[in-house]
Amino acid sequence: MDLFSTGLMSGIGFLAVVLVMLRFESIGGWTLGEVAFLAGMIEMSFGLMDMVFGGFDPDWFSGVVQSGRFDQFLLRPVNLATQLLGANFLLRRLGRVLEGIVFFGLSLWLTPVSWSVAKLLYLPVVVLSQVVAMGSLFMVGSGLIFWTVQRIEAVNILTYGGVELMSYPVHIYPRWLQRFFTFGVPFVFLNYYPALYFLDKPDVLGFPVFAPFWAPLAAAGMLLMAIWFWRFALRHYQSTGS
Amino acid sequence: MGLRQQMAYRLAMWAGLATNLFFGLLRVIVLIALYQAQLSVNGMSLQQAITYSAVAQSVIAFLTVFGSSDLMRTVYSGAIATDLVRPVGFYGYWLARDFGGSLVNLVGRGLVFLLLFRLFYAVDLPNDVIAWLCFGVSLALGWWVSFSWRFLVNLASFWTPDALGVGRALFGISQLFSGFIMPLRLMPDWFRQWSEFTPFPSMVNTPIEIYVGLLSGAELWRALLWQAGWALALFGVAQLVYAAGIRRLVLQGG
Repeated sequence: MDLFSTGLMSGIGFLAVVLVMLRFESIGGWTLGEVAFLAGMIEMSFGLMDMVFGGFDPDWFSGVVQSGRFDQFLLRPVNLATQLLGANFLLRRLGRVLEGIVFFGLSLWLTPVSWSVAKLLYLPVVVLSQVVAMGSLFMVGSGLIFWTVQRIEAVNILTYGGVELMSYPVHIYPRWLQRFFTFGVPFVFLNYYPALYFLDKPDVLGFPVFAPFWAPLAAAGMLLMAIWFWRFALRHYQSTGS
Repeated sequence: MGLRQQMAYRLAMWAGLATNLFFGLLRVIVLIALYQAQLSVNGMSLQQAITYSAVAQSVIAFLTVFGSSDLMRTVYSGAIATDLVRPVGFYGYWLARDFGGSLVNLVGRGLVFLLLFRLFYAVDLPNDVIAWLCFGVSLALGWWVSFSWRFLVNLASFWTPDALGVGRALFGISQLFSGFIMPLRLMPDWFRQWSEFTPFPSMVNTPIEIYVGLLSGAELWRALLWQAGWALALFGVAQLVYAAGIRRLVLQGG
């Protein structure tokens, strides 16, 4: 029951998009199959990330800090990050991965990709990059909790909002939003550009031809920043004493 | 300490508004990209679709669109025992409790949201006093339908220890069918027709279609009557399910 219900919950948003696209047929020149490629990829990655980085989920981590259970983690003679990775592993998050696979399957059925060896090799790299990048956001979100103790809803804009944002072709967004998600948080290179490569679509934003291959770079950059911030935040930790 | 709590509450409110604003703007951008050069789709203009999305986001807190779990938590904690000995009916007690919070949110989250949203996109207002009045009645009916629906979902806790999981699934379904995520009018006709056989469009889609002026004349009255019908039907079902459940709960607690 649990596995079924989370999958359903997060897939509802995309289901609404599917229904609307049955009437409109395309968005920004992209068909339903192509949009499903974007949505399927990021849903799969986010689901996987949620399982691996579950211990850094700000919603869960704030509870750990508030209750004082975080002190137990600090006392153990094992690396803190290792303890937190997988500390909040929930099988029901598999629902989200499955749902991503369904969207991805829908995409392949509607819009066949002309696969090559290079594309097949790059696909897992993109998924891994997305997992690492979204996980980095979880780390930053839980790092902030050392100051605020309570979870910060605005962080959800970047994580859950990011998933929805990356489910559409980026060129439909206004310039300021595009710029923020290119130079601020490099979401653009994590899903949209790789999708251009897989689907053989032209780049309308005018980045260099190798931009589709920046996904691992963007992810590595985000992870480094997240680790640095996490260490910095940890020094500010004061137990709630409860 | 009181001040800190107040500040934390304020901060939470602004963070919540920022989240609503982000998702609201995202949906509007998507709608603009979908419409492209089309002036009207299935009788709905782009400006009406934008206003629809803005109003839909503004009533999230008032209508508790994402669902609630207060009641089921009192069942699991045992606090329900105190509520059952109160000299008011159980349904009425929760209705009053819920309505108070909702009313605060209508202004605190709804009005403030619309003012913020207006900084980005224009939001239309209902045409005249009659339209405002009809919208008010429809929104109130929508709230009643939403309350009875949430009451029913929470009653699942009388039967199962995982009412939260049940709620996650059912509140997801009601969000889709209510037209909260995307206007039902922009979905295929067969889906819209089927959705009318559920109480969910009465919660969000109907009040907002009245707000943006998509319903008039006989169509408007039919929509209001349909809503009232669902409100009464769900109220009746809620009484029946509660009566069946409370007998069971007493047995378990004995």
